[in-house]
Amino acid sequence: MRATAIPPALLTVVALCQIALVRAEALTPWKGGGFGMFSTLDHGAYRGVDVVIEAPDRSEQQDVPPSLDTLAARAATCPSDWLLRRLAEGVVARERRYERPVTTVRLTVWQTRFDPRTLLASERTLRVFTYTVP
Amino acid sequence: MVPALPMTGRLSLAWLRTRPCPPHLEISLRLTAVTLLLRPMGPWFVRPGVLAAAALVLISPRALRTPAIWIGVAALVAVRIAEDWPLADNHIYLLSYWTLAIALSLRSDDMAQRLAIMSRWLLGLAFGFAVMWKVLLAPDFLDGRFFRVTLLTDPRFAEAAVLIGGLTADDLEANRRALVPLPDGAALAEPPAVIEPARLRALAAVATWGIVILEASVAVLMLGSPRRVPAWLRHTALLGFCLVTYAFAPVAGFGWLLLVMGAAQTADRDVWLRRGYVAAFLVVLVYSEVPWAALLLDLVGEP
Repeated sequence: MRATAIPPALLTVVALCQIALVRAEALTPWKGGGFGMFSTLDHGAYRGVDVVIEAPDRSEQQDVPPSLDTLAARAATCPSDWLLRRLAEGVVARERRYERPVTTVRLTVWQTRFDPRTLLASERTLRVFTYTVP
Repeated sequence: MVPALPMTGRLSLAWLRTRPCPPHLEISLRLTAVTLLLRPMGPWFVRPGVLAAAALVLISPRALRTPAIWIGVAALVAVRIAEDWPLADNHIYLLSYWTLAIALSLRSDDMAQRLAIMSRWLLGLAFGFAVMWKVLLAPDFLDGRFFRVTLLTDPRFAEAAVLIGGLTADDLEANRRALVPLPDGAALAEPPAVIEPARLRALAAVATWGIVILEASVAVLMLGSPRRVPAWLRHTALLGFCLVTYAFAPVAGFGWLLLVMGAAQTADRDVWLRRGYVAAFLVVLVYSEVPWAALLLDLVGEP
């Protein structure tokens, strides 16, 4: 293969993989190297993760703490098993640092959708992931 | 007798060997280094390497022509993408391909021609995929929803919504409250109305179709045969896109990269065109660093 074909071929392969990931793993079209930025409202500002921590005598929803912001952003951007598991493991590690019991972490990734006519917004669940502490 | 170098040794030396670089190409390489310095990127194990390489190629003509330095930058940018995947913006991917293209072209004797070819392909494909997303894949672009909601809610477009769209600051605030999402399946008995003056709807429509037309033009002209597409048309489309889009889009790094890649397509004789690219690079810098829309808004007075 001529050297001049390598960068364009790389771009094409990554962009096609990105389209597949958007379809298969709900990756936001804005990210992943597929050049879908500024094409849809399905991006980080309109996605989020809810965290529910459960243990005997405990079930509470928590805001994502600043120390887990990046992991949460990655999981919201692409709610695949491995990124959600890493976020859940981060939540468990944090709970243990504070000596709080945790047996299960339930993560719900949601996105905002806008009505085509009125623009009124509603939340839609993209993915629910339950992590049981081993 | 000098012993022959093993294959790996010869390969490594090829990346260190420098060839004479046409002066017109050097401008594009230097502007790439300036772009790297203007928007430092990545974690601690990437940033110093990228910044050092950029500084080195700016002060040393030999470093500027050394493929190993550019392949090193491409690798560091790739590490930056992988480190927090999938959070990197698309122009970081394009930067990685571009620095790889520079490294590969510097290894050949016809580097200017090779880099121009790769620039056309990279720009054509990037714009082609961008158009494909907007026209075919995204469900909410062509119906105008993307720009309608973005103009109403994104603070980075607030000045445009007020200046051109005819909204007031109070309207913007009311709209942001009205567009707070309801939980899945919930509905209000009396949903709040979103304030959308006709001018704002028109602005959203012009932005929607304008961006599709501009991006599709660049894609077609870049991917078209250079024998059939006059160079001036390609350059006009790219410069026009950058000068219009980056007045509003808050991603100057993307604009600089596109301009640098466009400059790499100029021929030795295109002195004024190259100066045009440098001027456009500076204009995007001004767009990025001067809050021109807010100043204009202060000047004309908020409605």
